[in-house]
Amino acid sequence: MQVTIQTFIGGLSLGAIYALVAMGFSLVYRTMGLVNFAHGNVVMIGAYFASTFYLSAKLPFAAAMVIALVVTGLIGIVIERVLRPLENKDFDLMLIGTIGFGIVLEALAIIIWGATGRAVPSPVPGAPLDVFGIRIRTYDLVVLAIAAAATAVLVLFLQRTKRGAAMQAVAMDHQAATAVGIHVGRSNSIAFMIGAGLAALAGGLVGPLLYVSPAMGGTLGIKGFAAAILGGFGSIPGAIIGGLCIGVLDGFTAGHFQGYSELVTFLVFTVIIMVRPTGIFGERTVNRA
Amino acid sequence: MSLFARRRVAILSTVAAATIALSACSAPGEDEESSSSGDGPIKIAVVNAQSGQLSSLGAWELKGVKLAVDEWNKAGGVGGRQIELGVFDDQGDPTVGTNLARKIASEGYVAMLGTAESAVTIAMAPILQQEEIPNITSGQSPGLVAVKSPFLFLNGPTSTTYDETLAKYIVDTKGIKSIAVITNNGSYGKGEHDAFLKALSSRGVTPVADHAVTTDQKDFSAALTSIRQKNPQLIFVGAEEVQSGLIVKQARDLGIKAPFAGAAPQGTPVFIDTAGAANAEGTIVSSPYLSNEISDASRTFAAAYKAMHGEDAEMHGAKAYDGAQIMLTALKNSNLATGKPLADAIRSTKHAGLLGNFTFDETGVGIFETSIGTITSGKLIAATDA
Repeated sequence: MQVTIQTFIGGLSLGAIYALVAMGFSLVYRTMGLVNFAHGNVVMIGAYFASTFYLSAKLPFAAAMVIALVVTGLIGIVIERVLRPLENKDFDLMLIGTIGFGIVLEALAIIIWGATGRAVPSPVPGAPLDVFGIRIRTYDLVVLAIAAAATAVLVLFLQRTKRGAAMQAVAMDHQAATAVGIHVGRSNSIAFMIGAGLAALAGGLVGPLLYVSPAMGGTLGIKGFAAAILGGFGSIPGAIIGGLCIGVLDGFTAGHFQGYSELVTFLVFTVIIMVRPTGIFGERTVNRA
Repeated sequence: MSLFARRRVAILSTVAAATIALSACSAPGEDEESSSSGDGPIKIAVVNAQSGQLSSLGAWELKGVKLAVDEWNKAGGVGGRQIELGVFDDQGDPTVGTNLARKIASEGYVAMLGTAESAVTIAMAPILQQEEIPNITSGQSPGLVAVKSPFLFLNGPTSTTYDETLAKYIVDTKGIKSIAVITNNGSYGKGEHDAFLKALSSRGVTPVADHAVTTDQKDFSAALTSIRQKNPQLIFVGAEEVQSGLIVKQARDLGIKAPFAGAAPQGTPVFIDTAGAANAEGTIVSSPYLSNEISDASRTFAAAYKAMHGEDAEMHGAKAYDGAQIMLTALKNSNLATGKPLADAIRSTKHAGLLGNFTFDETGVGIFETSIGTITSGKLIAATDA
């Protein structure tokens, strides 16, 4: 029983990170119908910015996170701006373009920060809480709280603001949206910016949990993408549920199947997707490709 | 505008294709100049992961090799000729490695240094043997010896040596019998798992828990919680630097107080940083190169390394430095031989290196002992009772 609960808790904190990554994937997909394959690498860049401002510039962790969010958001805008001429022309090239950006970002990280990577000490010192023999890291609670807050802000933005509504409109029908005077390019740009910001949030938060290295984007990207698909690609609540599911599922398969855990996780994932191809919350389908 | 943008994206996307293509296309007809004749530079290939998960290993190895070659070049090179290093990125991938083996053969490299990943070296070995290119690897898997290539040499001990020394210290010297094992299922972790369990079973000890994790795994709550319930006196970790560090950090968060033990990766700064110095305290390490403070030679090496690269030297750099020194000494002793004569020259080279005194046997292993160290106040220091 103790093992089960502890495994669940361990899975939740990484699950919250996967959820943030999945939200970035979903936001860009629902707005543009594009899978941003550079997203995992943007997470890595965000982690580097956050850790650089935190460790090298000695800023408080929160301040470092905010700066990392802004800078990485700008990178998102740059990616969208470079790819924009391809929208509605050749969508496959646009997909490949995001893969190219991913490789460029990883190479840049190696040039700027070196190949070795760095460990980030936890910004929340203090021993883990001990609840009836179950250990809960205080930093995990911080991660869960920030992930929840980020979700709430994003949902409010999409549903309550004019800009958010415009983005929803573009997602539903970009030609009609253009006809009523919505700037599709700007809407896409904002989607990329928020997506990159979420990536930086995930990367910055995961730094103290894991290890910041140029290769860290790979696993986080794949797990985040799987989470987005599982929850229903394009759905924001789906991304959250999907992320937490993948994190917890991963924890339990690791306990039961040890070396084969990755295999079992993705087998379970495949079966769920076969039974329910649109994912858990996938009632809305976006098809722009 | 659109044409320009399209081209821009096409360029980006070809970056991916180009990396693969560069390593793949090695036409057999490329100018096969023999670099052992004439008076051009002597070409030595350094193959290691310079990108991907294992790139930190590749970076350290390259720094060690560069330092050794730099010293020789400043002293006039070998036989009056400079040494030229060709750096190749194997991405830690055996497939890329085999392509690179063909590439360095066709481009006239006389010898190869690397890789740090046993699986890649094993994949490359048959081609290098066929092309008669001697290779000094930094891998330590017993599988390297099983290849039985007369052209393959190791710049350190094999896992068997690391773990036999470790088990001897833990079980025989310390009398610890209640041991949990957590290893990853990659080539390194699997080798550590088998070698350590063999060393334990020869002493009649069975681990109280034996957990495997995947190389990509980040959350170890399940394995560590069940290890905690067994309450072992010591936990053996067989994984690379970063993963070992994460395992130790999470174990301490879960309230596990038992010390950890492991081979080379657990003695590195990356491990200590990832785990946190306080969490890594007391970790027992079996390593052929405990610290930069062990001898006058290691102090000189560490100072030169720091001066050249601006960071502290560690074991992988030292191993690669030794390997490069042996290669260059063999080149000098054999009067710039290539192929089989060079391999024979390496085998007969007796080198007093940073790791100890190298005397190669027919398996290509030159060093058969490691030392025991403990992490004390964030630094690896020699154990007094080993």
